[in-house]
Amino acid sequence: MKDCGLDWFEEMVEHCYQKATEFHEAGTPIIGILCEYTPRELILAAGAWPVCLCGGDADMIPAAETLLPAGICPLIKSTFGYSLNQANPFLEMASLLVAETTCDGKKKMYERLAERHPMHVLELPQKTGDPDARIHWIRELQKLRTVLEERFNVAITDERLRDAIRLMNRERRLRRALAQEMRSATPPLSGRELLDLKSLIACLPDDLAAYERIAGALPGRPADARPSPDNVRVLLTGVPVPHGAERILDLLEADHATVVCQENCTGIKPVTEEVDAEADDPLTALADVYLHLPCSVMTPNSERMRRLGELAREYRAECVVELIWHGCLTYDIEAAYTRELAAQFGLPYLRIETDYSPNDDARIALRLGALYETVRAARR
Amino acid sequence: MKSTATTIGRPEGKTVAVGVDAGSRAIKIALLDTRTRAVVATGSCDQGINQSALASDLLARLLAEQGLDAGSIAATVATGYGRHAVAAADRAVTEITCHATGVYHLHADVAAVIDIGGQDSKFIHLGTNGLVVDFSMNDRCAAGTGRFLEVVAQRLDVPIASLGEHARRADKPASISSMCVVFAESELIGLLASGTSRENIIAGVCRAIAQRIAAMAGRIPAGKIVFTGGVARVAGMRDALAEALRHPVTVASDPCMTGAIGAAIIAARENGGSE
Repeated sequence: MKDCGLDWFEEMVEHCYQKATEFHEAGTPIIGILCEYTPRELILAAGAWPVCLCGGDADMIPAAETLLPAGICPLIKSTFGYSLNQANPFLEMASLLVAETTCDGKKKMYERLAERHPMHVLELPQKTGDPDARIHWIRELQKLRTVLEERFNVAITDERLRDAIRLMNRERRLRRALAQEMRSATPPLSGRELLDLKSLIACLPDDLAAYERIAGALPGRPADARPSPDNVRVLLTGVPVPHGAERILDLLEADHATVVCQENCTGIKPVTEEVDAEADDPLTALADVYLHLPCSVMTPNSERMRRLGELAREYRAECVVELIWHGCLTYDIEAAYTRELAAQFGLPYLRIETDYSPNDDARIALRLGALYETVRAARR
Repeated sequence: MKSTATTIGRPEGKTVAVGVDAGSRAIKIALLDTRTRAVVATGSCDQGINQSALASDLLARLLAEQGLDAGSIAATVATGYGRHAVAAADRAVTEITCHATGVYHLHADVAAVIDIGGQDSKFIHLGTNGLVVDFSMNDRCAAGTGRFLEVVAQRLDVPIASLGEHARRADKPASISSMCVVFAESELIGLLASGTSRENIIAGVCRAIAQRIAAMAGRIPAGKIVFTGGVARVAGMRDALAEALRHPVTVASDPCMTGAIGAAIIAARENGGSE
């Protein structure tokens, strides 16, 4: 059993399931979300609970491939496969799904998913910095607010929205503080342990309390429970690592390495910026922060490269590993930028393209081995 | 078992570093003098089921030929496909790093290494001091590996060692359209039946392999490109690579052994020796 309060999250799915069941039985809506662009605050302000439905289980994929092409991203297939197999209890309990037009694969999968579940789709405009794109996104969130109000017979007042923003900010702060512990020369956690702290449901009070306990206990974590300070410091970037696919982190950290920073949507990206709860128009403030999220679907995505450079310095990364799920065109195309950035920083870089199956494990381990050998040779 | 040996006189104490390259077709071992960093002896044997025992036996024989024994070993590093299953090794290092190190030892001006083995191929970019800067690897598809040549040799009933001479005599290398070695095998039979010469078929296969290497190479460096691995012994492959890369290619001075030599150098280094 883990120390420092980390054991709480060893049962994360069970806790979320218990809570979801309680909510469901009490008539409190569960709303499924599928992307970090979907504002949790609106859902919370509607008196509902947002649950992440992104699939990380390879076993769900065969069912999905009966309707979706095999060559698309495993995350998309797995998410859809859960629906076909009726194997995700959170999905089954959800009164509504909020989806978004991000990448092509997701957009088209959502059409299929909408045949099986009530769904509202947000249109994410993809031109960064364009004032009309921003107005469009604010309108999309206004529409979402209206949909939630009508469907769940609730008024999402500005005050309720501000409270939800404060709550989400608290979660962001707590998760960011834990991630920032990895900046240390003697990180108290492995990257895998940090990833395991991510919950499926946002802002559960027990999870927030657990984050506080962990933050208090980690500085005192003994050396033998911490990863070795001699480990290669890895900056992981690219695609998210949803629940079920965390073994990728184990692969990355197997050969005396620690993933000190996860620049992706299951890592630091969504907890980097806080929403101004006191802004004149909280909905606009919400829209602005969410629109800043630097996913590769956005064009241009220079903010991602700028943040990566800062993170490489802050976390004293010794190499950059870019993870790309098969079929993820936008991250794959951006990989060339990441490679250039890594070269500018003098950091060895490795691109790993894979899916959820363990077939690639030996090949990936070999390449990581060579990367880490290069890092260690450069230290001499 | 073949072994080549350079006798240097009997050293005392732990003066030999060992590199074991456990490849898909053969196990190669190099012994390195830890003081002079000279290669003392090299040897190889065919791969087999009990790899660990085969490696240990080969090592014992090589040592004995030099008047040495296990007590002379300062450190042992294993590399290659089977690197995690060599009981005699202190640790494992990837073949990417080992081939880079081994080639750099033999050719100090190397900018990139092409290694084509029995079942994989690599293009390794080196920086200063022989450090690996970047690499691409094909370990998924037989069409860019020695396996393709094995299939061709068998199908055309030509010993692998003679493939090169045949390729040299080609006047019009055949174009192999199949992406896959399994399908290419059938394509070869078709080519033979339609009167294409064995020479042209072999040259065509060499070209196909070279094209796959070129596709994976990325940016071609300005400096020296060294070709190593078992397939480097096939005369004609070097020319095919040079043509596909539009860049001169040098065959490593001991192409089968660069992995084992690199491993031995790393073993010596880690045992407290300086560069």
